[in-house]
Amino acid sequence: MEDFSNIPQFTLRLFNFNVDFNTETIIMTWIVMGLLIVFGFLATRKVSFIPNPFQVVGELLVTAFYDLTKDALDEDMTKKYFPIICSLFMFLLLCNWLGIIPKLSEPTKDLNTPLSLGILGFLIAHYSGIKTKGFIKYAKEYCDPIFFMAPLNIIGELAKVVSISFRLYGNIMGGAIIIIVVSHLVYSLILPPFLIMFFGIFVGSIQAFVFTMLTLVYISLQVK
Amino acid sequence: MLDVFSYVKACSLVGAGLAIGLGAIGSAIGEGLTAGKANETLSYRPELAGEILKTMLVGQAVAESAAIFALVVAMLMFFTNPVGKPLLAAWAFLGSGLGMGLSAIGSGIGSGFVSATACEGIGRQPAAKSAINSLMLIGASITQSTAIYGFLVSLMLLFIGFPESADISRSFALLGAGLSTGFGGIGPGIGEGLTGSFAVTAVARNPEQVSKVTRTMLVGQAIAESTGIYALIVALLLIMVV
Repeated sequence: MEDFSNIPQFTLRLFNFNVDFNTETIIMTWIVMGLLIVFGFLATRKVSFIPNPFQVVGELLVTAFYDLTKDALDEDMTKKYFPIICSLFMFLLLCNWLGIIPKLSEPTKDLNTPLSLGILGFLIAHYSGIKTKGFIKYAKEYCDPIFFMAPLNIIGELAKVVSISFRLYGNIMGGAIIIIVVSHLVYSLILPPFLIMFFGIFVGSIQAFVFTMLTLVYISLQVK
Repeated sequence: MLDVFSYVKACSLVGAGLAIGLGAIGSAIGEGLTAGKANETLSYRPELAGEILKTMLVGQAVAESAAIFALVVAMLMFFTNPVGKPLLAAWAFLGSGLGMGLSAIGSGIGSGFVSATACEGIGRQPAAKSAINSLMLIGASITQSTAIYGFLVSLMLLFIGFPESADISRSFALLGAGLSTGFGGIGPGIGEGLTGSFAVTAVARNPEQVSKVTRTMLVGQAIAESTGIYALIVALLLIMVV
């Protein structure tokens, strides 16, 4: 039971400050990035009319998310924001699926990964809001309906970051803990593979999609 | 005169009972609602029996997960070794059980609403069954998030290290953290479930508008959840600061 309370860390001492690195998370994130680069290379290496399997999967993802982004944003904004939406989904999907391989763990099991991706989406949404509407009109929205509602609106915006990141973190972490506890109780017989399928593949895919869609929706709320 | 060990052990047992006892309420109501709607739909669309049964089972599995979180917390408390834990851990166990149990109520009922209308919607519009099923899964999994917050707070209360000295305000802060996430999770769970259920009905009525309905549902659920977030933040502050 103690193995999910200690996190392998590497501490670097820098001008009287301790800089901590969660080594496991960083290595797992690198593995995911490496897999994505290999996938991208294989999918675009020999583009042909009769596609190879990787090209089929790539085209499937790209068209599905291009249509989703086009429904939410305008045509010319889609070209700008579609790459980040699609790559966010592919990254999160691989992150959530990585845990089904023994000895590897999901990078999203560490709160730092979802929180940084949530802050990333928040910053992109607000940057695009300021850019398309201008700062005055953007700031005016916080004073809606009356000016003294501004603190509540700001808290509401910040709560979005907390909710989007804690939802992903809690689902992945909760699934991992349930797998550990149940495996411990049934001596790793029969049940764990089904749980790994449910929490790793099923819940992981849904949560990756929900995170991506929420980021897209927050961007589209700001630019309209 | 009881010693600290007995207090901690007693509170861990009460906490285990509270967690699964309260946590079973919501999921059971939600699953019953789903099965009832599935039966009602079957009576006028008997040729869709297979599809409706599949949707019912998947929806019930999602609604069940809140109760599974409660079961895991109860098991953890039941098998925790209370030797050497300070008196504050006893309060933390009580708070953990209340937090997990109460927060599972809303999520269980809410996911039940979503999957019940999904069964009805498939009976109404069988051609849109893939859109209805995916919308049901998205809506129900967002509805689960307050139960997830309760689960996180319960685990923090179970595994955090406490000082030896039993300060009365610190003890009640730990109980309050559980009550905050617990009661704070009931409302958002039911509210998000209602949002998801009406969204599923809307897609069954007009499957062309699925992307617009999905986006509006996501925004609405995110806003309905914000009160649950406030409860989570207060609970974290109570654990960390007080």
